[in-house]
Amino acid sequence: MLIVEEIVLGLGLVLITIGAICDLLASIGLNKFPNFYVRMHAATIGTIGGAVIPLIGVGLVALVSDQLGTYKYMVFGVSIITALLIMIASPTGTHILANAAHKAKLAPVQPKVVDKLEEAEEK
Amino acid sequence: MNTQWILDIYVPIISIVFIIAVTLYIIRVLKGPTVPDMVLSIDCLGYDLAVFIGLLSLYYGTSFLIIGSLMIALWAFIFDLYISKYFLKKELGE
Repeated sequence: MLIVEEIVLGLGLVLITIGAICDLLASIGLNKFPNFYVRMHAATIGTIGGAVIPLIGVGLVALVSDQLGTYKYMVFGVSIITALLIMIASPTGTHILANAAHKAKLAPVQPKVVDKLEEAEEK
Repeated sequence: MNTQWILDIYVPIISIVFIIAVTLYIIRVLKGPTVPDMVLSIDCLGYDLAVFIGLLSLYYGTSFLIIGSLMIALWAFIFDLYISKYFLKKELGE
């Protein structure tokens, strides 16, 4: 019984560590990439890898933390719900933002190779 | 089992990484050449803050801080929606 709890605790701590590393890589990428549409790739790492995975880890750590009392199940549940919510909401928000920025011509595609959406709108 | 002694060591170490990431996000928010860049960075910042509140909830051993995490995740999504609508229609609606 104790072995299972230790495995869950270790898994949670490893997930939080992976999330922190993803977050660091995403923030470096957000500063290095050339334009808005390329920076969205780094933002995906920062939201899915840097928010969903560590929240699941927080939930797993809370599940075996007896010092929280009965409320450990509350921390577990809210963490998992927040992780699922971010997993649905973050790609939706990023797509809708890219669509609006392209249609309003707010973010120029500066090092441009090909822009099929612009060609389709010109026709 | 009691995991408070592990969290007392682990959370301050991992917080350093999160604080470095937040600092780099804030640099992009202040520097961002266009408005969508700033919105994207604030989005990442909001989801990052949700995780950080979860870690603080474990560190202080209280369960009521974790409720704020759900609200911040929803706030970042609503922020995206309203900014996108303002870009397209130049008004926020009733």
